[in-house]
Amino acid sequence: MKFTTITKWELKETLKSRKFLTIFILQISVLFLMLFVFNAFITNIESQEGISITPSLSGFASLSVDDEGRLFSKYINPELITVTHASFDDSMKNLNSGKTMAVVLVPADSLDKIRNIDTIEVKLYLDQADPKRSVVRDEVNNTAKILAITLSNSWIDSLTPQNSTPAVVTEENTGESLPMQIVTKVMLAILLFLPLFLFGNMIIDSVVGEKERKTGEILMAMPINSSDIIIGKSMAVVGVIALQVAIWMGILLITGFEIPNPLLVYLLVIITAVPVIGVTVIIAAYSKNYKEAGIGLTFGYVAIVGILMIPPLIYITNKSLISNISPLTMVIRLFSGDVIPAWHFLIPLGFVIMVSAITYWISIKLFQRDDVVFGPRPGLIRLILEFGGLKRRGG
Amino acid sequence: MIEIESLSKSFGKIKALDNLNLDIKRGELLGIIGPNGAGKTTAIRITCCILKPDSGDVLVDGMSIHQEQIKIKSMIGYLPEEPNLYERFKARDLLSYFAELYGVPKGEIDSRIEELLELVNMSHRAEDRINTFSKGLRQRVGIARALVHDPQILIFDEPTMGLDPATAHNIREFIRELKGDKTIILCTHYMDEADSLCDRVAILNQGRIMDMGTPQDLKSNIRGDLILNIKVENPGGDVVKAIEGFSTVEDVEVADNQYTISLKSKNDIKDIINVFEGNILSVNTKEPTLEDVFINSFKQ
Repeated sequence: MKFTTITKWELKETLKSRKFLTIFILQISVLFLMLFVFNAFITNIESQEGISITPSLSGFASLSVDDEGRLFSKYINPELITVTHASFDDSMKNLNSGKTMAVVLVPADSLDKIRNIDTIEVKLYLDQADPKRSVVRDEVNNTAKILAITLSNSWIDSLTPQNSTPAVVTEENTGESLPMQIVTKVMLAILLFLPLFLFGNMIIDSVVGEKERKTGEILMAMPINSSDIIIGKSMAVVGVIALQVAIWMGILLITGFEIPNPLLVYLLVIITAVPVIGVTVIIAAYSKNYKEAGIGLTFGYVAIVGILMIPPLIYITNKSLISNISPLTMVIRLFSGDVIPAWHFLIPLGFVIMVSAITYWISIKLFQRDDVVFGPRPGLIRLILEFGGLKRRGG
Repeated sequence: MIEIESLSKSFGKIKALDNLNLDIKRGELLGIIGPNGAGKTTAIRITCCILKPDSGDVLVDGMSIHQEQIKIKSMIGYLPEEPNLYERFKARDLLSYFAELYGVPKGEIDSRIEELLELVNMSHRAEDRINTFSKGLRQRVGIARALVHDPQILIFDEPTMGLDPATAHNIREFIRELKGDKTIILCTHYMDEADSLCDRVAILNQGRIMDMGTPQDLKSNIRGDLILNIKVENPGGDVVKAIEGFSTVEDVEVADNQYTISLKSKNDIKDIINVFEGNILSVNTKEPTLEDVFINSFKQ
């Protein structure tokens, strides 16, 4: 159990390091920045007046409309096309002078014709020299379709006796709109898992640093097993992640985010850190230097993010049981207020234990090999063949 | 205490150790000398259970490195060529860390560290970080680290390499003090160091022992006990024959106008000088050194 000594000293020295503390605090400030963007995004979804973080198309195209009854013009998307009302003659003058790029003429007797179930003819005049004319043409066509459907439905409704009584519609307040639910549940869950990927460099420095600074020679001369070294160092990083996640959760709770069952959510995030660090430590154990480890880390983390993210997407689409292998799915389910049977938690737990066992076993085996630590390092394929028993070491 | 048996180790196509056999007695200070790449560090690393041999075994106090790695490691204090210490640690913390890893009882750690810091004259820098230390100071902390668990065996790999003469002298004195109490293996490039410190010296080249013995035996084996250097104005043809006629002369070498004469004793020196009949520019005598042994081994 010498790994606890390594964990204790790694944590102690890490938390004393000014460089680390600066990074640690900067990461918390990144969370604040993300919360700010997050809030702006939610506000934007919830309110039409909200701050838009997407580029605006307002005033993209202009249209002059001669529509006395304002029957047509009220259906045109104002976000896209600036509409001005004018007589047909004035509109045409505007078109010729370039003040507008299109003119729509809605006949003055349109309402009467509609009441008599007669067709109306809407005319569109376009500035053929303007490349944006196709946008205006599409928008006018769409508006005409919407108008036609709306009028048809209204006419059909008026013919059906049972619909003559207005339907009693009651609004149920669910607290959050659908987009808001998706944003808060998925994004908040992702936000909580983010610290798992912020400390990869710490384990890289801890393991690859032993090779680069040649301190590994001393460590390997200690009366401890390679497993003590690998697990001791990994647990120190898991400890730092646990601290950061606790701080992040605290901040999220203080800033008004609702985290149902926070202890369970916290545990799910922390157990996920174990295999994530396991994968990182494989990369570190095999890498010759920081550069190699950095490249490996990028690929490794892309794979981990995929493994974490794909099951929740599967869950959202078809609620498949297997999608529970990702702890992220469970956290999203907890956030959604799902009633989760206890045995469902065994699925991610089992997956995490299995991946952890495999990754740490590989890391320890790699670190036990003097050729991997001191060189000349065997190639990846050769190592895989040796691990698989298909090739003998040194053979 | 340490038996190295038929040890072989290759790194790729390079054979670092080739059927190495070595026996180190309890309390002995064995020096291993050899050129770069001779296999000294590899032999040491295998003994410390850092590297695994391709074949052969090392028995430490009867225990095999293949079976009792943890026990063997806890008996050895190892100081590599570069002390390789954790830069961000304070000297005292570093010693505490390693004391804990070596399993020194908690109650004894503080007193042991104080004792060691005093021993290596580092008490005044105990609270300073390693990255503020010079190479000499790091080496001292490295020695303290190697001794923190009071090991029976000490293995030093080039402990004075790159140090200033005063620091190197202090470290040699320190090793001398440990002699007898501990079994020590000392790898060095410095022949004087091996000569003055070691009970026995092994000359290693290409992973094999080329010669081994006490420094005195090794030196006397090559050219007797004394070397007489005579520089002359005009070397004469018959002089060599005349010198070889003396019973104390073991060997005569002539290079340019200098005669190097190996003698068993100094009894005939006066008569040998007379052979040159006043043709002499300079005369000096010296005892053979380990360097001569080393160079001679490679000549052979």
